[in-house]
Amino acid sequence: MTFKSFIFGLLASFGLPWLAVVVFPFSKMRALEPAKFEEGDRKGQAYSPMRDGRVNEGSKIYGQEGCYHCHTQLIRPTYAGPDVHRDEWAGLRLTADNPDTRRETVPTDYDGEDVAHIGLGRVGPDLSNLGRRLDHYLKGRDLTPETWLYLHLYSPRTNAGYVENDQEIHSHSTCPSKSGLFKEIPAVQAGGQALPLYTPEGVAVIPTDRARALVSYLASLKKDTLGAPLPEAYNLNPTAPTKE
Amino acid sequence: MAETTSNADSLDVDLRATIDRSLRHPVMFFFSSGAVWLALSIVLGLIASAKKHAPDFLSCFSFLDAGKVDAAHMSTLTYGWGAQAAFGMLIWLMARLSRKECTASGIILVAGHVWNAAVAYGVLCIMGSGSLGPWFESSGIAGMEFPGGVWVVLLVSFILISIWSLIQFQVRDAGHVYVSQWYLLAAMLWLPWIMVTAWLFVFVFDGSPLMATGIASWFKGTVFALFFLPVALASAYYLAPKVTGRPVCSYNIALFGFWSLAVIGPWVGMQKLAGAPIPQFLPAAGAAAMVMILIPALSVGVNILRTVQGHGKAVALSPSMRFTASGIVLFVGYGVLSFALNNNIGLKVSQFSYAGYGLDILGLYGVFSLCAFGAIYFIVPRITRREWLSRRFIRWHFYLSLYGLASIVICAVVGGVFQGQGTEDLTQPFLTGARRAAAYGWGITLAWGFLLLANLFFCLHLLLMWARLGRRSSHPTLLNKHHSESPHGPEGEVDNYGSATA
Repeated sequence: MTFKSFIFGLLASFGLPWLAVVVFPFSKMRALEPAKFEEGDRKGQAYSPMRDGRVNEGSKIYGQEGCYHCHTQLIRPTYAGPDVHRDEWAGLRLTADNPDTRRETVPTDYDGEDVAHIGLGRVGPDLSNLGRRLDHYLKGRDLTPETWLYLHLYSPRTNAGYVENDQEIHSHSTCPSKSGLFKEIPAVQAGGQALPLYTPEGVAVIPTDRARALVSYLASLKKDTLGAPLPEAYNLNPTAPTKE
Repeated sequence: MAETTSNADSLDVDLRATIDRSLRHPVMFFFSSGAVWLALSIVLGLIASAKKHAPDFLSCFSFLDAGKVDAAHMSTLTYGWGAQAAFGMLIWLMARLSRKECTASGIILVAGHVWNAAVAYGVLCIMGSGSLGPWFESSGIAGMEFPGGVWVVLLVSFILISIWSLIQFQVRDAGHVYVSQWYLLAAMLWLPWIMVTAWLFVFVFDGSPLMATGIASWFKGTVFALFFLPVALASAYYLAPKVTGRPVCSYNIALFGFWSLAVIGPWVGMQKLAGAPIPQFLPAAGAAAMVMILIPALSVGVNILRTVQGHGKAVALSPSMRFTASGIVLFVGYGVLSFALNNNIGLKVSQFSYAGYGLDILGLYGVFSLCAFGAIYFIVPRITRREWLSRRFIRWHFYLSLYGLASIVICAVVGGVFQGQGTEDLTQPFLTGARRAAAYGWGITLAWGFLLLANLFFCLHLLLMWARLGRRSSHPTLLNKHHSESPHGPEGEVDNYGSATA
């Protein structure tokens, strides 16, 4: 083996996968054609669901705080895992009050973020539809999704949790506290920002700007079909329409 | 393959001593600062693991928040310890094998300090995000948490550290090219290519957020498969013949092992994105490559172990060979485990469970670090002209390392499989899987404690050597009671040749 053939071998054995795994997929994904509706009222329109909130900024903070170590944001197709059927991860289940909004993750779900927080592990639940779940569970309760999220980040095991089957799901959380995202100030300065917590007399806990951005991002996680039906191209396994 | 020491004339000894002397400062710097980073990384690993099952542990410090400490743990393990140990091995092995002294040790030393400063800054960014101000913000990208600029500094320092080894290889006297040199050359070319690619495609080019995640994952996978593995294997291919005095068992198997790694390695990494909305063949190719890592693992394993076969005594007595042989056995174990966890059944339970972490640690601490410890126990006495002080320290380091490592990997993999199955099993609530894993999480935390103890012995021992407090002796420190015979060949190589000045 001469030096020249050695270097050539290295170039070939690395260059081919480099093109196939990095360069081509990158350029392909960068110029991804938006999926268009093929029928219905929106025929011909591109699928681009809007997200409210400080998505880009919040996504960065989500990454910096390392949330991706324990939480995923990926509803895998059934060949890779049963995420679609797990709890309310993929969207709402069909009940008397709401339609079945569950779906798999699609490429546009991460629009507006610099990096897709797929996640490394599932010590905690998937967050693809955290905002949707909170909207659903907190319906009729005197607690906004944002306040719930502040309380959860500040003190994950207090009793601000939602009730499901007469059980307070929240208090089981193993999520570490992110109390660094909050600050204590004299209660008189807090205005309306103080979290509804039992605190020492005259002290109030308020979220910092980082906490606001993060919570705004978390509350925006609604990657299901409620209000934003998928174009047929994404619908890998459509349910047959029931005609009466 | 083996440099025969039996007929080493005085010129040869002279040359080796010159090479060792020329590299003394940078190599010792890499090893000792690496060992300190390793100790730090293990402390962080212990805290990170504890937080998984005891979320309120140390929760009063926001810089030790769960996600941050996880990222800091893996970053210090990889770039603080792993990379620096690899640099020390790389520059010393290449100089010895090319028989050229290093004329740029000053530049290497400066580049090494820059590398350290960049890693330290990166770790500060990870842990200080949100509290240290706008100059200290991590990228928040899994696998590439250092901010974008840090990667450029790391790349430039790596080139300044390794380019001299490439030159040494080019200007060497014509002759045989050793197996170790293939691996070292390839590692020197692969790493910059991987780093430039990842930096450009993740931090510079504006693309799909999914591909940024995917390429960061590819980066993490290939840095291990195409930098840490080759350097570890280069060291094993150097030490096994050196210590046993036998040539490498089979040249053809070595060739096959090398090229199979070169062909399979570049594909790994994206299996972590299985099911993500990217082209489906990317995670499939990543998983297939992780399954096929078994091929180079078996070839190298068979080749090295057959080289030392029949020299059980040398393996048992020589600290270098004991660590290296264990690292190579664990490489085969890594291949088998990677096969089990990345095929289409295994990936479902390993993708988002502790099991994937177990595989990462087996690779980085089991395969790479054990080989690196072996190399360090071999190299340090030669460049400091002092022998290791205590065989008891070495023995403790060895047994505690193996015990801690085995505990981590077994807990992470068994716990991870239960966790993954619990999450997949829709008849069980999600918490079941998480609870099952928590018990094993305790085991992992405890095991990091053992590794911490192991590395306190190692770090202390190395720093004593660094302070030139080693034994002045011509007898290498072996793991037996009597210095009756030396597996390092005849005395004289590790000697007080010349004036052993500080």
